[in-house]
Amino acid sequence: MIMSKIIKGLQEPLRAILGDRLALIGLAVLLSIVAMALFAPFLSTHAPLAVNEREEGSLMVRSVQGEQVRWELAPALGERTLNDAHYVDGVGMAVGNAGVVWRFENGEWTLQDNTLTETLNAVAINAEGDALAVGENGAMALWRDQQWHAIETPTAVNLLGVAWSNPDVAMVVGESETLWQLTWQDDDLDINVLESPVDRGVTLNAAAVDTDESVWVVGERGLVLRLTPEGDVLRERLPTNRGLNHIHLAANGAGLVVGERGTILTRESIDSEWLAATSPDSRAMRAGWITEEGEAFAVGRSGIILERQGDNWVLATTEEERHLRAMMVTADGYYAIGSDRFVNRLAPPSSEHWFGTDHLGRDLFSQNVHGSRIALLVGFLGAVLVVLIGANVGLIAGYFRGRTETVLMRTVDVMYGIPFEPFALILVLLFEPSLFIVILAVSLLTWRTVARLIRSQVLSLRERPFVKAARVAGASDLRIMYLHIFPNVMPLVFLELAIIVGVSIIAEATLSFLGLGPPQSISWGGILHNARLSGAWRDAWWWNLPPGLFIMMTVLSVFFISRSLELVANPRLRARR
Amino acid sequence: MSSRRSYLIRRVIHGVMALFIIATLLFFLFRLGLPDPTAALITEGLNPEERERIRASFGLDRPIWMQYFIYLGNVLQGDFGYSFHYRAPVADIIWERLGNTMILMLPAIVLAYAVGAPLGAWLSWRRGSRADTSGIFVGLMFRSAPMFWTGMIAILVFSIGLGWLPTSGMRTLPYEASGFFDKIFTLDFLHHLILPALIVALYYLGSPLLIMRNTMLEVYGEDFIEMARAKGLPERRILYAHAARNALLPVVTQLAVTIGLAAGGQVVVEVVFSWPGLGREILNSVRTSDFPLAQASFLVMAAFVVTLNLLVDILYTMLDPRVSFK
Repeated sequence: MIMSKIIKGLQEPLRAILGDRLALIGLAVLLSIVAMALFAPFLSTHAPLAVNEREEGSLMVRSVQGEQVRWELAPALGERTLNDAHYVDGVGMAVGNAGVVWRFENGEWTLQDNTLTETLNAVAINAEGDALAVGENGAMALWRDQQWHAIETPTAVNLLGVAWSNPDVAMVVGESETLWQLTWQDDDLDINVLESPVDRGVTLNAAAVDTDESVWVVGERGLVLRLTPEGDVLRERLPTNRGLNHIHLAANGAGLVVGERGTILTRESIDSEWLAATSPDSRAMRAGWITEEGEAFAVGRSGIILERQGDNWVLATTEEERHLRAMMVTADGYYAIGSDRFVNRLAPPSSEHWFGTDHLGRDLFSQNVHGSRIALLVGFLGAVLVVLIGANVGLIAGYFRGRTETVLMRTVDVMYGIPFEPFALILVLLFEPSLFIVILAVSLLTWRTVARLIRSQVLSLRERPFVKAARVAGASDLRIMYLHIFPNVMPLVFLELAIIVGVSIIAEATLSFLGLGPPQSISWGGILHNARLSGAWRDAWWWNLPPGLFIMMTVLSVFFISRSLELVANPRLRARR
Repeated sequence: MSSRRSYLIRRVIHGVMALFIIATLLFFLFRLGLPDPTAALITEGLNPEERERIRASFGLDRPIWMQYFIYLGNVLQGDFGYSFHYRAPVADIIWERLGNTMILMLPAIVLAYAVGAPLGAWLSWRRGSRADTSGIFVGLMFRSAPMFWTGMIAILVFSIGLGWLPTSGMRTLPYEASGFFDKIFTLDFLHHLILPALIVALYYLGSPLLIMRNTMLEVYGEDFIEMARAKGLPERRILYAHAARNALLPVVTQLAVTIGLAAGGQVVVEVVFSWPGLGREILNSVRTSDFPLAQASFLVMAAFVVTLNLLVDILYTMLDPRVSFK
């Protein structure tokens, strides 16, 4: 009985929605947003609050404007980390993960074909233009006659450094004190495995050739070895015990060694002492470069670039936080090269992140998808609560009249005196922000309109003959109210339900935007709150735009639906010809 | 006539009672949520005697019903206490902020209604046409877009992108005002006002537009319109002189209600545009746990709403002779 009445009451609004084009569009949009909320975990491409990282062949270029030295990000060299770079006589090379090799010539970088797919850790070019690249698991390749030749190696050890002592002899170093001397005679290669004088399995990180064709090798725990042209391995002492990451020697014998905890050592020529410099930064330096003129640079993680100015080292200001791994100085340019995986902050929309990322590198598409959940939850729960309270108050007040009506309607009057946003603010001041408070604030302050409207309808309905007939037939008050009068105010109830869904969604977004939403939850208003708080919203349009569009689309679709319901509740609005 | 007067007197009494109930609710809500409202003050390393002195100065050493009557007495005398944050009388702060809010909201609301109502009337005349549909669409669109979002986008486009208008605040700093009128009648101030006022106006536009349109549609069914048609009056005259006049009542009502809510209704606009109004003040007072300021701001806003609602009722009795004074 009661079900059939309700179904009958539902029929007319439903027919109204299906008959109106705008309402139908609204319904379709609303349903797809509901679907988005339901299937949010499947639709989102990333975990919404997970920090996303990426790697790329970052390239930073130095420019001088007046007194100001600036390092600026140039277009990246591919999507792979570049680990080392070398430059000799107009030709440069940078090698990186997945075997990528970039060639630098005449100011242009070009990607070279390479058969290797292993991570390449180091590269060195010799006077004849041949290059040797070494990498993980004993990967090694020789660039000669304009192509790469893979080289079989004795063991699959990680190789970390390479240097040519002359055009036919190269030195390769790596983990576990690997020291290989490679000698070419015509096209035959001989690999000579040298014994280390230390023999404690220390990792050797880099190698560089000196003016007397001896090769310097640096490694962990401050270990420094020198290989004489005669094939002897000598242990050298430098004034440090810190791990050393990189060595670079200029053609005139000027030298630079960098290492952990801001370690920097320099020497002026082959005959002078290695001296420790005071570093302005105590983080690890990954690589360095020194020129014949004595210009010296050291680079490290988080975009650190140190430059020598006179006797001092100064920290250059770089805005980007790429992790730099190599330094290269050419005839007329200075390049810092990287980058390890770094946090993908404020990335514009791409195929990886459809709506870009926020200031913490979190995927905004996934956040927007998940944001629909809170919006709809508060929207529908709030509206149902409001209509439940409002309709019942209106029904009771309108039906019973008298003192009941006075008390209820005076309460409604008081509710009308309370402004919404400030009231919600006060609630949050007094209690902790939570989803419950948000729904409470929304529903406490919107039922007043519903109550007034329903009451005025009920006032006229209760005087109708069918109500009187029911009363004469002995129906109870409850029965008359809910079975006879209520179905007649159903169109109005649905209308109010739809309007209040829209109002609640905006209210929730507003509270979240003001930072009063439940913490740790994702909502459209909250995304905009973060954007504003971070200050990045002024540049990151991809951060601002989607949440507002989603709010607008959702509320608009609800309003379209409510408009066709309005025609049911108030037939006089129907357009007449 | 006497029924009308007694009705008005009854309405005033109801309004005062509503305010009294709100003030009472507010008092107990605050006591419930913040048993010791001086907690925010006391964290600053005060010794116990000083703490007691402050508590006594707020009357917190007395029983709660005494506190309640002291509070009511103070409010009646316009004494809202002392702000923790500004270390100044709350009343002074509130009046200044309220003024700032109103000079933003009033022009915006008036603009919205001045444009929205005639537009709504015109749309109703063209009902069912493409203009009608798109008019409703645009009105509803601005109604659906949250103001903080449209505000941010407007700042992005007009202030940061094009550089036409200032991004925030009421005037270029530093500024020394010599008087209230000097404060608002400057080009610099108007320059700052345009963007926030426009955003508020666009948001409110939909409401007079739709109300006017819908009421007009109802009015078209009335006999006197048929009569006017029968007399052969031009459509335009029927529309504006006969129908619109009768459809204006709900719009005027909504206008008064909107102005009432304006005192504190649009916190977000003031936040986005850094407008030093009452709405932003109540948010700040919530953030700094400045309970005297929060409590008083809220009460002033509520008083505004109640007063304007009362005005609506009085207006109704004057504009619509059909209203019964039961």
